[in-house]
Amino acid sequence: MCLLTDCFTMSNQPLPLSQETLAQFNRSQSTEPGPPGPPRRRLASISTRRSSKDHSKDHPHPRPLFLRAMTGPSSESSFMSPSVSTSHMSMGKRFSFAGWHQGGRVSFSGLYLQQPIQEVYVENTYRTGPEPSCRFSARRTQQILQATLDAYLEGVCYSADSCSQLCQMLADLVLSKLKDVNPPRYKLVCQVVVGQSGDHGVRVASQSLINPNTDNYTSAVFQNHSLFAVAVVHGVYFE
Amino acid sequence: MDEDQSEETTFVVDEITTIIKETVETTNGNNSYQHEKINQWMSSIAEISLSQLTKLGKPFKYIVTCIILQKNGAGLHTASSCFWDNTTDGSCTVRWENKTIYCIVSVFGLAI
Repeated sequence: MCLLTDCFTMSNQPLPLSQETLAQFNRSQSTEPGPPGPPRRRLASISTRRSSKDHSKDHPHPRPLFLRAMTGPSSESSFMSPSVSTSHMSMGKRFSFAGWHQGGRVSFSGLYLQQPIQEVYVENTYRTGPEPSCRFSARRTQQILQATLDAYLEGVCYSADSCSQLCQMLADLVLSKLKDVNPPRYKLVCQVVVGQSGDHGVRVASQSLINPNTDNYTSAVFQNHSLFAVAVVHGVYFE
Repeated sequence: MDEDQSEETTFVVDEITTIIKETVETTNGNNSYQHEKINQWMSSIAEISLSQLTKLGKPFKYIVTCIILQKNGAGLHTASSCFWDNTTDGSCTVRWENKTIYCIVSVFGLAI
């Protein structure tokens, strides 16, 4: 989000070109009586008015769009609510936001000014291994895995139609839970196998080419009268 | 030169699928499901697959998962979910069957 900081400094310098062009818009598109003051044109309102607070209650306020390309200084537009107008002054765009409102018109003639995208440079950390406290914990992962399987599959019956979705949902659920406790610089691979309990044999095995100092895996099994589930999670350090 | 570098550091699915298929066929062949021999088959599938993958010489860590299921009319579903870098990492799954067994081998490759 370092893109925002550069534009804050420029937020008080309006560009003259827009005034002219937008004044033209105001004249050409005035169709309804506006409130006293500057015309309440969504198209024109971006640059002509410095304070849109009096009109803010008239419009629904979609959240300001976070852009990568900061287009330079501009005043608040009518759709920006007072509470966010200061913090998002730099977010103002040169082109109209009419498209955000129902039935609005969008026009881009000569208003859009593009600023170069600021590249984010990350410094070298010179770290070649995980920190001692930030390793993949197989025990904790196994607890989370087992708890998730038990909670989610309690009382569930095997059904050929729904179990494929259930399987994918379990895999995504497990991954989302593990992402919260995942140490930095670790990649996760989670595989879930769900099958019907019966008189047949099943074997699930995995072998991996990993670094035993930094990487690890864990697995959990759940079984009830109609189905069984096996979940395997590998945590791999990313150098 | 950029293409060579990208070849080296991305997961090429086709190549790995071919390797795994050959491995499974040579290991399983036309064997019927035998409970005592399953362990041995699975270990050899995983080991041979891994050794073939390392021969590729790419800077990857591999995870090979093998599931062998006896054909008995029961259903099986498998899903995986991964938290990795989409541009460099990838996975492939190979399904193989004969008259009495299903064999599913998944390979995940994570770039170092």
